[in-house]
Amino acid sequence: MWTSLKTATWLGWQIESNWASPSLFALYSIVKPLTSAAILVVMFGMITQGNFASTAFSYLYVGNAFYMYVGAVMAGMAQAVVDDRERFRTLKSMYVAPVHIPMYLMGRGVARFLTTSLSVAITLAFGVLFLQLQLSLGDVRWGLLLAALVAGVALLAMMGLTLASIVLVIAHNSWLVGEAVAAALYLFCGAVFPLEVLPWWLRPVGYLMPVTYWLELVRRALVGRVADAYPTLAGVGDLQLLVLVAILTLVFAVVAAATFRRCDHLARERGLIDRTTNY
Amino acid sequence: MGSRSSGWRLFARTVMARAYPRLVMNVREKWWLVFDIVLPLVGVCAYVFVYRANGAHPDLIGFVILGGAMSAYWMNVLWAMGNQLFWEKETGNLALYIMAPNSMMAILLGMALGGMATTTLRAASILAIGSLMFGVRFDVSNAAMLFVVFALALVALYGMGMMFASMFLLFGREGWHLVSLAQEPVFLLSGTFFPVRNFNFWVAAGASIIPLTLALDAIRQLTSSSGAALGFLDVGTEVAVLAGLSVVFLIAARFLLAQLERLAIAEGRLTESRA
Amino acid sequence: MQALAIETARLGRIYKPRRNERHDTKERVALSDVSLAVPRGELFGLLGPNGAGKTTLIKILTTLLAPSSGWAAVEGYDVHREPQFVRPCINMVSGGEASGYGLLTVRENLWMFAQFYGLSSSDANRRIAELLEIVKMSDRINTKSSQLSTGLRQKMNIARGFLTDPNVLFLDEPTLGLDVEASRDARNYIRRWVKEQATRTVLLTTHYMVEAEELCDRVAIINGGRVLACDTPQNLKRRLQREAIFHLEAAPLGAGDVAAIAALPGVSKASHQATGFGSSVELMLQEERVLGPVIGLLESRQIGLRTLTKREPTLEDVFVELVGRSMEEVEHG
Repeated sequence: MWTSLKTATWLGWQIESNWASPSLFALYSIVKPLTSAAILVVMFGMITQGNFASTAFSYLYVGNAFYMYVGAVMAGMAQAVVDDRERFRTLKSMYVAPVHIPMYLMGRGVARFLTTSLSVAITLAFGVLFLQLQLSLGDVRWGLLLAALVAGVALLAMMGLTLASIVLVIAHNSWLVGEAVAAALYLFCGAVFPLEVLPWWLRPVGYLMPVTYWLELVRRALVGRVADAYPTLAGVGDLQLLVLVAILTLVFAVVAAATFRRCDHLARERGLIDRTTNY
Repeated sequence: MGSRSSGWRLFARTVMARAYPRLVMNVREKWWLVFDIVLPLVGVCAYVFVYRANGAHPDLIGFVILGGAMSAYWMNVLWAMGNQLFWEKETGNLALYIMAPNSMMAILLGMALGGMATTTLRAASILAIGSLMFGVRFDVSNAAMLFVVFALALVALYGMGMMFASMFLLFGREGWHLVSLAQEPVFLLSGTFFPVRNFNFWVAAGASIIPLTLALDAIRQLTSSSGAALGFLDVGTEVAVLAGLSVVFLIAARFLLAQLERLAIAEGRLTESRA
Repeated sequence: MQALAIETARLGRIYKPRRNERHDTKERVALSDVSLAVPRGELFGLLGPNGAGKTTLIKILTTLLAPSSGWAAVEGYDVHREPQFVRPCINMVSGGEASGYGLLTVRENLWMFAQFYGLSSSDANRRIAELLEIVKMSDRINTKSSQLSTGLRQKMNIARGFLTDPNVLFLDEPTLGLDVEASRDARNYIRRWVKEQATRTVLLTTHYMVEAEELCDRVAIINGGRVLACDTPQNLKRRLQREAIFHLEAAPLGAGDVAAIAALPGVSKASHQATGFGSSVELMLQEERVLGPVIGLLESRQIGLRTLTKREPTLEDVFVELVGRSMEEVEHG
């Protein structure tokens, strides 16, 4: 299993990082995340007359920056299934080889996590340099941040595996399966606004998502007082948050394992491992 | 064998034939309802709540819904035309398309029209459900003009899409990433979720080369009470620019498709795979 | 009226590494100085090992690739300058192609490609039914192509090639993936189809000698991007008629024994293969009477001779004579 994870991470890194010249890769890594953040920056600036020094802005900006991991990992793992099945036609070879498929898919997700880190760092740096983002390196709680990132890789890998398992049994009729799911979850995770803004009947969804707690952990590690400004999870301590993330990650791991088992069985029963479905 | 179509008849046959796989498979495989309709709708709601969380004027919520609806067409242009051509190269269909006596513009138009059903359903869902959920009312001041704006926007958008698609004849693996790269900058510059007037004049003017920019601005002016106050240019000017863009992009698409096909043939890129 | 279906003059193609490719990728000469003239009605074969340039030539002739030098014409139209006139007259089938859309049925895929050539739906559906009958796939007409096996997929590809009744049909390893019976049926149909109308021409590439000998009116042997010989299979083999080819089975031979045989005057080639029970030797002799000294050598070394047969030269032998190695040896480098 460890070999599968390691090899898949290496493979994913190769695929994600060497598709272009270094300059084009750098442009992609800078332009895409910054323009995504800029949409929110313009929206916020328009309503608040450019009050970027506010805690609300820091809350939104940091949440959006780290939410990139969610889209990247989920998209990466879902797209890995599609690419391997239909473009590279290697999925059937993976199945035939003694490769642990879930670990292989998670390895691809880990690779996306690593390549996205550059985009996240660039986005944060831009916010600090040009947008009065309330982030000071001296105030960062590095231990908590590291723990949050490690927890993040695990939880996103579980979510990504769940989605990748579903992609095994569906046709390739949407280019952006992972992004679509991530865009939908954006609503529920308190990424860019606190859960209190949602109607009461939608809030429970947010409370059930591990990403909600994970983003809160990241905010506390990076911009502590910003996280304090919104009371949503004020009553939950750092350790409790970590435990919550761990528990929910375990729950998702069970869901992911069950989903993979079911979808893998269906895919093999219906002969979907090597089919091409693009149109 | 009977006689064969040529000229415009061949063009029409090719368009219908290439649209066919998309139309049929939307019936056979229904997961697109989730990934292309439901989830994007939920995603648009997130931007609505960003405005609500920060006390924005209610009209801006309508702007987000309109932007989310129209962005569906931009996504269709990027993925169903541009990136799709790259995929066709990977699977070997592109060589067969080029080798046949049809027109690549017909193939691309077929791809676009085939995806139009999904796209229009997505746009309509965001519009209808979004307005119901958030209590947004659209006051249409001039329905005929609204239709003209929408129609010109589509022609210009898809003309631009054909131009991009021609570039995919040359791309390798970077194709997917470049399409992905074109999403957010266009959403930003065209004011998908906010009035483009927020930019300075020259930035907004430059962004007007993207058909979505002026189309959204004009549609907002025609459907919202504060639209005119927040508009960039007057609707008449925007319609004229859109009409000009439509013509320019279609002509440029025809030219670029021919030129880049010649270049791809010279460099042997039509049949390479997984490069 | 143009009598040549395909004509090339000093055709060449060089693949140059692109700016973003690794620095150690060199320029590659895929075709060099290829001059062919294929009259209408001919079933012309292009025979060579993998990487010989067969597919490159077909890509140029089907307007998918520009030549680096020389020119080529199909049905009298320049493939590079007048592709719009070439394309209505041609079609192509490649071995192992995965064209079409997996979620469409066989009929739908074929119908779609027929529309790109301007066929009416009624003509297309009639032709589809006929062709699927010929390739023995009528029962799979409504099967999604993603559910087809490799062989059935290739049959569908073959049907697609004939669907538009082209003047010139390019077949690039068309029987790849087909079983023995299906390959035979395909070859029979190809031959019948060409002979049905004088305006039809087929250019077939293959690395199967049997296919080239059985099907082709003329064969061009290609290796390393160059055409080494071009003639009817019979004439090509007649080049070796002056040579005698023998196959002998003997007791085990050592390396020294084989070298001694090869060194005998009049022995052009002696290739040895160890079998389970001894040795198998292919001898190419400049004249039949050289056989005597060979037998004498075996006797002097007390190597028992078990069987001795004379065989007719094949295109493989022609290839060996032209290139100096067998096709298999060339492919393995």
